Amino acid sequence: MTKPPIDLLQGTVDVLILRTLAWEPMHGYGVSRFIRQRTEGVLAIESAALYQAMHRLERKKWIRAEWGLSENNRRAKYYSLTAEGRKQLRQEAATWRTYAEAVFKVLEPV
Amino acid sequence: MAGLRPYLRLPWRSASRLRADLDEELRFYFDMRTRELVEQGMTDADARREAVREFGDVEYTKRYCLAEDAMSRREDRRTDLVAELRQDLMHSWRTFRRSPGFAVIALLTLALGIGANTAIFSVVNGLLLRDLPFGDPDRVVRVWGAHKDSGVDRSQISAGDFVDLRTRQRSFITLGAFSWGGGTYIGTGDPVPLAGARVDAGVFAALGVRPYLGRTFVVGEDSSGVNPTIVLGFNAWRRVFGGDSTIVGKAVNISGRSRTVIGVLPPTFFFPTMAEAEIFTPLDLTPVLRDVNRIRKFHNLGVIGRLRPGTTVAQAGAELKSIMAELERDFPESNSNMSVATVGMRDAVVGDTRPALLVLLGASLLVLLIACANVAGMLLSRAVSRRQELAVRAALGAGRARLVRQMMTESVVLALGGGAIGLAVAVWGTRALVASAGDRLPAASQVTVDATVLLTALAVSIASGVVFGLVPALAASRGIQLALKESGRGTSSGVSRHRMRTVLVTGQLALAVMLLVGAGLLVRSLVGLQKRDLGYSIESTLTFELMLAGDRYDSAAAQDQFFDALYTRLGALPGVVAVGGSGNIPMRGGAMASLAIDGRPQPEGRLPEVGYQPVSDNLFKAMGVPLKRGRTFGPQDHEKAPPVVILSESLARAFWPNGDPIGSRVRLGPNPNDPWMTVVGIVSDVRMGVDGESRPTAYVSARQDHWGGMAIVMRTTTDPMSMLPAVRREVRAIDATIPVADANSMKAVRTQGLTDRRLPMQLMAAFAVLALVLAAVGVYGVMAYSVAARTREIGVRVALGAQPRNVFGMVLRQGMGAAAAGLTLGLLGAAALGRVLTSLLYGVKPTDVLTFVGVAGVLLTVVLAACLVPARRAVRVDPLEALRSE
Repeated sequence: MTKPPIDLLQGTVDVLILRTLAWEPMHGYGVSRFIRQRTEGVLAIESAALYQAMHRLERKKWIRAEWGLSENNRRAKYYSLTAEGRKQLRQEAATWRTYAEAVFKVLEPV
Repeated sequence: MAGLRPYLRLPWRSASRLRADLDEELRFYFDMRTRELVEQGMTDADARREAVREFGDVEYTKRYCLAEDAMSRREDRRTDLVAELRQDLMHSWRTFRRSPGFAVIALLTLALGIGANTAIFSVVNGLLLRDLPFGDPDRVVRVWGAHKDSGVDRSQISAGDFVDLRTRQRSFITLGAFSWGGGTYIGTGDPVPLAGARVDAGVFAALGVRPYLGRTFVVGEDSSGVNPTIVLGFNAWRRVFGGDSTIVGKAVNISGRSRTVIGVLPPTFFFPTMAEAEIFTPLDLTPVLRDVNRIRKFHNLGVIGRLRPGTTVAQAGAELKSIMAELERDFPESNSNMSVATVGMRDAVVGDTRPALLVLLGASLLVLLIACANVAGMLLSRAVSRRQELAVRAALGAGRARLVRQMMTESVVLALGGGAIGLAVAVWGTRALVASAGDRLPAASQVTVDATVLLTALAVSIASGVVFGLVPALAASRGIQLALKESGRGTSSGVSRHRMRTVLVTGQLALAVMLLVGAGLLVRSLVGLQKRDLGYSIESTLTFELMLAGDRYDSAAAQDQFFDALYTRLGALPGVVAVGGSGNIPMRGGAMASLAIDGRPQPEGRLPEVGYQPVSDNLFKAMGVPLKRGRTFGPQDHEKAPPVVILSESLARAFWPNGDPIGSRVRLGPNPNDPWMTVVGIVSDVRMGVDGESRPTAYVSARQDHWGGMAIVMRTTTDPMSMLPAVRREVRAIDATIPVADANSMKAVRTQGLTDRRLPMQLMAAFAVLALVLAAVGVYGVMAYSVAARTREIGVRVALGAQPRNVFGMVLRQGMGAAAAGLTLGLLGAAALGRVLTSLLYGVKPTDVLTFVGVAGVLLTVVLAACLVPARRAVRVDPLEALRSE
């Protein structure tokens, strides 16, 4: 089995998950649907990468998991942002913005 | 809220649980995604296939997530444990702050217990466990001469036997011989007496000593005609020669002979079985080997060997014994019954101190057990008042294991605190121990508080924390379910807890009784020793030793002249009653010689051995030994006169049970060519050594057997030590190169001699008193608690007409019940364990009735005293208040 080419995207996926969970606690399916709708399918992120990232972020204590009931009354694992995760989101977002602005400055004609 | 988090966390998830959780999480995703796709118009089967396809690598994701989950579970557990430990530590600290009295008493109790143990252990460690300061010390062996019939196995070996052993044996790389041989350093100041040994080249090789400076002896250096050399011990080098680093190659004057210093020994080195030796000169065996009368009959050599790799002490011993058997066949006249005993050097060095040390280590362990029992009892009582607290914590989700862990943390913290204070006690105690044992401990320099001791103290502290913490913790956590429902008093767990405390106290009392019996026996035997009539007087008596050195004392006449001048001058000093000299003073032992009686058939096997002592004319007067019959020696018994001998009463009684020995003729020593000696007098018995062992003794005139040195005994009318300057002055006036050595009052010599007996006794007594106090505190605690717990019951009894003395008696009966049980157990234990003390006892049986009765009396008195306060409190219980308070 080969490893999917997600290494480049890893940081991106992480920050997207953190941002998504900053709205409200969500289960994994909710996160995947939310990102799919938000990016309007532009970013083709496999759900596999999302789940891997969520378990990784849980270990890093940036998000925490609890079992709860879903909208259709099924047991589902809900993820929510921890204080540490919120701090991390602020940092990552700032980095992204700086990065994007720098790229734009190069790309945009003066 | 952070403090509560650990209680709210989900229980630990197992690996299979993690997998099931992940499967459920992913199943939920696929179900939801499938439904979404169906809503968009796909068939059910297509939708499910599509959901799986677009997901990506399912198997890899599962593995990845499981690995992450397992890792985070491990990290959680670790951080939780750390957090809980910190929480427990903080909690313990707050608990101790709330009840400082409890904490202080518990800490002190533990500090004493752990301190006593650590101090004794550091001595045991230094003497019994640590390596001797020799290269590869387990291969160093001491060989002693042994007599097969008498059981003597610590005697010396003759030069002839030694040389044959050395040539015939195969077990040793080296076999070396040494004999006593100190000397006097004659420098610019006062002459300095130095204890020492004459050693052959093999001795240092066998010990594997690397010199600090220079070298040690080489083969060939130990024969006469070679330039005389000397090796200095480290202390002598520093003290006498000022640590002169250029001393190697210089000449020093030892007893009038110039010797070249060839080396200095390292500071850790001590000469085994003769630790006081500071100078070492070559041993020359040639004269003895040439002398047919001494070659196998003059037993004066100590032998040290280094085993070949792979050879055991037992194998080497067997080989030497078989060589001795060959020699016995070849030289029946000198060697019948002679053999050797081979002992590993460690056993040889610490042989005599081992039983005392082990007994003391055992005693200090008992003290620690009692201390632990005390703290356990205190914790049990405290657990009652903490039941509410524990119940609240249990209600908040703390499991039983968690509560036990919390309480164990508390006790281990207590124990470590006690251990830290105990270590200070131990450092001080070790120093005091070594100081009071002084030079009587072999290798005392090895006794320090080192890493081994520190680690042991740490281990002992933690172990005792677990020992005294576990029972109360389990007991307390068992009762918590009931605690919230009941108000606490009179619950079944309270009863079992009280029973547990009674058991603890009974055990404590039993241990204390055993220690008391041990101490009592040691005290009794020491008192017996001190009271023992020695047969001579030690009051107002000065003793010192003189060793004549130098060529001018080679002739017997010169020696007589010196000592005659000495006795005359000293006798003329004001305040001197009598002065005399002897080969040794009886406290320091003496020589032995075989005894043959003229006209009687030679007995089968060996001749009987008797004590042998050359004495001056006035010695018996100076010692206060009465003459029973005949006469003492006088100037007429000079070297050319017919040889004469004086017998001790017990010797006369043993060999002339029905007759008068005066006028009989005896021969002392093995040489059949020596002349017969006529018995001229009988003196009363003198006891030998420190233990006052009786020994039939023959005395010869110092004018007829010249040892070159004498122990002088001087009876005075004033403080004997005040005469010392005058004595030194007179000795200097006769010969300024002769030092006055080992000067002391006879009383002090005796006191020093008793030190090795007194030290274990004092320590044992200290331990016993400590144990008794701790046990008394334990009894007081349990009785006070019991009275407090039974206040209502007592109130009811008083209301129903019980008299104060009934109440008083009830409490006392309970306390004395525990005392009786503890006493019985303790006395039985003491009777069973008494055998281990046998080697330390003199004139007292391990089951001495007087001691047992005395201990019982002391214990019952102390327990009674400990019960009095709680009993009086019980009498003062007001029935109305007692009933209302419930």
